[in-house]
Amino acid sequence: MSELERHGFTRRATGSELLFQIASALKESSSDVKSFARTFTRIYEDIINERPSSMASINALRMIGEYFLENGVNGIRDYIDGIAARYEESIMRAAEVAAKRVVEGDALITNSNSLAIRRLFKTLSDSKVKVKVYVTESRPGLEGLLMAEYLEKLGFEVYLIVDSAARFFMKNIDKAVLGAEAVAVNGAVVSKIGTSVIALDAHEARVRVFVVAPTLKFSIETIYGELIKLPEGDWRLLMDEDTRRTLPENYRAFAPLYDVTPAEYVDGIATEKGLFAPQAIPIVIREVYGGFPPLVKPLEKIAMEVRRYLE
Amino acid sequence: MSDVSIPPKVLEIADGIKTMRIRGAGKIGRAAAEALKIAAEEYNGPRDASLFKKYIGRVADILISTRPTAVSLPNAVMFILSSLRDQYGFDEAHSAIVDAANRFIEESLNAVKKISEMGAKRIKENSIILTHCHSSVAVNTITEAYRQGKVVKVYSTETRPFYQGRITTTQLLNNGVPVVQIPDSAVRYVMNDVDYVVIGADTITSNGAVINKIGTSQVALAAKEARVRVYVVAESYKFSPITLVGELVPIEFRDPSEIVPEEWLKQHPGVKVLNPSFDVTPPEYIDAIVTEVGVIPPQSAILVLMERLGWALEKIKQGLSISTIRFEDLLE
Repeated sequence: MSELERHGFTRRATGSELLFQIASALKESSSDVKSFARTFTRIYEDIINERPSSMASINALRMIGEYFLENGVNGIRDYIDGIAARYEESIMRAAEVAAKRVVEGDALITNSNSLAIRRLFKTLSDSKVKVKVYVTESRPGLEGLLMAEYLEKLGFEVYLIVDSAARFFMKNIDKAVLGAEAVAVNGAVVSKIGTSVIALDAHEARVRVFVVAPTLKFSIETIYGELIKLPEGDWRLLMDEDTRRTLPENYRAFAPLYDVTPAEYVDGIATEKGLFAPQAIPIVIREVYGGFPPLVKPLEKIAMEVRRYLE
Repeated sequence: MSDVSIPPKVLEIADGIKTMRIRGAGKIGRAAAEALKIAAEEYNGPRDASLFKKYIGRVADILISTRPTAVSLPNAVMFILSSLRDQYGFDEAHSAIVDAANRFIEESLNAVKKISEMGAKRIKENSIILTHCHSSVAVNTITEAYRQGKVVKVYSTETRPFYQGRITTTQLLNNGVPVVQIPDSAVRYVMNDVDYVVIGADTITSNGAVINKIGTSQVALAAKEARVRVYVVAESYKFSPITLVGELVPIEFRDPSEIVPEEWLKQHPGVKVLNPSFDVTPPEYIDAIVTEVGVIPPQSAILVLMERLGWALEKIKQGLSISTIRFEDLLE
């Protein structure tokens, strides 16, 4: 739809979709160690450059890389399938946990087009819970339109609003339900740009905020003080070239893709292990990884070792 | 006694306001003042104070009816009518109208300059400013602060659905000001770097709430959270007298096709697109309102109304709203 592209509409893989894409690309290259190492290295570099905050993919890459270093391509297809299946399952479980916090007649607000949030609404729709949903258009990218479309198909009462109208409508809302790209050890949530504004508006209006995020999105690196890198773009995310030409030569735009919602604006993070206070993330990590801090090899080191197979 | 005829030039101005040939709060206000001035100057009825006042009242009613929602219009008219006193004879009444109209036009033209000078004083060295939507007063204030060497960078929001921020960005670039456009969703992301928010206003209520482009209240909230100062720059004719008696400022919901294309709407009949054009920023999120009569805390908004529109306030308190006022009956 070219009219929408004028406004910067793009189809971009969500954090979860990206993980599934990576899993199938790696599986396709698993016939020999060299081609696996080549694909792994390319994906690793793409992720670090373009999607450094897509934590599910980073964690999956770490696990797959470690397996490869130990076992080569032996059984790696099953291993990757297992990760993808467990991830799919954990999104479903997390969505079911979050769905229990939603009651008939609630007015909800959400943004972007997170798979976990879609699963939440699917769960609600399957159990015939009727809700109203306000969706922000979610610039840059306008993925809110895809979410609105999906919710329309599920038969919910859907309201599409511009990003700047979130505070205007917050007084009509009971709960905010939001996806995540990553969750830091201190409970801060990295999500689509604008999420932190919605959470701030919700906090001001005493509206509860729930984040749906499987534990694979938890960032291990942040335990050691690493900051999650947030990718940023320019005018290309906001308009097409024709529109750009109508603006001055020296026009400049800055379009961050993600922002950080502080833990104090989040009431609960729904995971496959249950609903947790954001400040309890270290405890969840201890549960999942069997100790705190978890003893995992940094992805950077793994990637370096994988690269040696290319020499 | 037959009615004195209204000069064609006055009716022409009224028509210009009605058909939106004359646009923008300042221009509408000045056009109305000009019309009242012409009406007084070209009055050709008997030299009787009472008849003259009735005639001016009629002109006022015609002008106000052209665009009931533009706050600057009734304010300009009321400011000028406020100059009439009961005891005035014909000559005094006549010159009071002409003088007040001239004063309104002059003050309105000077207002932007005065506001930008006062506003710029509130900005410290090495500042980063964020602005939302497009306001000529805000652009002028930021430009003035930049000329004084105080501004290193400006963030201008796109301001969906109409992208008025692109006008702001273009104008600031033309003035040589370094400016970066951001999507509305990124206001909190950049707020940590920002020192001041400078925004215009559509209407200011008697309790100091600011009605402005959708998204303004969210910008102000994000600023408050980050302890960033919020300055509203607005001419005194943006203050709404009827809000003193509790009248609400209606917020218009505009056409969904301003947000998404018609084609998308047709394909998605189950999605309701809500397009409010304004929101309300509570006074506690505003550090100061800079008007041409001075810098005031928003809670003192009533002071501006009393100073500028005292007479009208009295009438309004007697139970009249702007839409029901018939100036012809009030002016004896």
